[in-house]
Amino acid sequence: MTVRSILLYPDPILKQVAETVAEVDETVIAVVQDLVDTMVDSGHSVGVAAPQIGILRRVLVVDVSKSKLGKDNNHGLLEMINPEIIEKSGSKMMREGCMSVPDYTGNVTRAEYIVIEYTDRFGRLRVIEASGFEAVAIQHELDHLDGLLFLDRVSSLKTDLYRRKSQ
Amino acid sequence: MNHFALTIVGRDRPGIVSQVTEILFNQGCNLADSSCSILGGQFTMILILGHPEFTNRESFGEAFKPLEEADLTVALHLLKPGGEIRPEIEGDICMISVYGADKPGIVYHVAQVLGEKQVNITDLNTKLVGTEERPVYVMVLEAVLAAGIENDDVNGWLAPIRDELQVDITVRTIPTVEL
Repeated sequence: MTVRSILLYPDPILKQVAETVAEVDETVIAVVQDLVDTMVDSGHSVGVAAPQIGILRRVLVVDVSKSKLGKDNNHGLLEMINPEIIEKSGSKMMREGCMSVPDYTGNVTRAEYIVIEYTDRFGRLRVIEASGFEAVAIQHELDHLDGLLFLDRVSSLKTDLYRRKSQ
Repeated sequence: MNHFALTIVGRDRPGIVSQVTEILFNQGCNLADSSCSILGGQFTMILILGHPEFTNRESFGEAFKPLEEADLTVALHLLKPGGEIRPEIEGDICMISVYGADKPGIVYHVAQVLGEKQVNITDLNTKLVGTEERPVYVMVLEAVLAAGIENDDVNGWLAPIRDELQVDITVRTIPTVEL
């Protein structure tokens, strides 16, 4: 069990594109496990992407099953290697916050429904459909693999960017 | 550091932001929050800025004179200490859209209801759209609902206005999520 610390913007790693995983070996499984441990340890997080713990590989984890918005519609713990959205539709706006950009939240519109293809920790190719909050969470984490933060997606600072409510 | 509120209004044309910010930069001002937009035919700028030494309007001397000579209206005032800090507003964020055939009092009637219920409006924009024969008024506002107030409550409060003014109103909350 290794809980990693979350990199904060302006750490340059957060703005880099992560590398595709060529083979699911022990090092990749270790990254998956660290991401899960880090997410669970934070208490409130529903997802973490590898660049957030300083690793530029295309790996992310998402679990919205314990959150109020996701508890009725989820796949439990998702561990995704080389995730890729192959279909998306609809749109849904949520006010997103990110552990790497503390204190701020912003309105972001994302697809409401996605079909996503990825490799799991056993090296199997998987395809799942996700919708609602889980779909939003996956898209948010996938952005991290491309060096994008929610700040890249807000349309208007005037209405879209707010200091986070005190927790 | 002292903070000031600066507003600038003038007929829209390219170069206003550049002219204004060049002056502020040369004066050594730090821009904090700002909002600039076209309203009607006017470009409007509202800025909260700080300066390590300036204490009042006079500190700026003749710095804004070129703006006034370029037909921009400039207003500056010193903020009381702490006036630059955004207050923590607790509660869920809700967006309210109101639109309908243009008539007097749309903004007032909606704001009156929200004010009575202690709902804090954090952003409000209005626009007159449609055609000259059939003008349509659109208002979009963002408000913070205190604990215990739900979407349905707001809908209920605004329902009489919907009928009286013949406007369409939608209320929706935007869930805040930590990712």
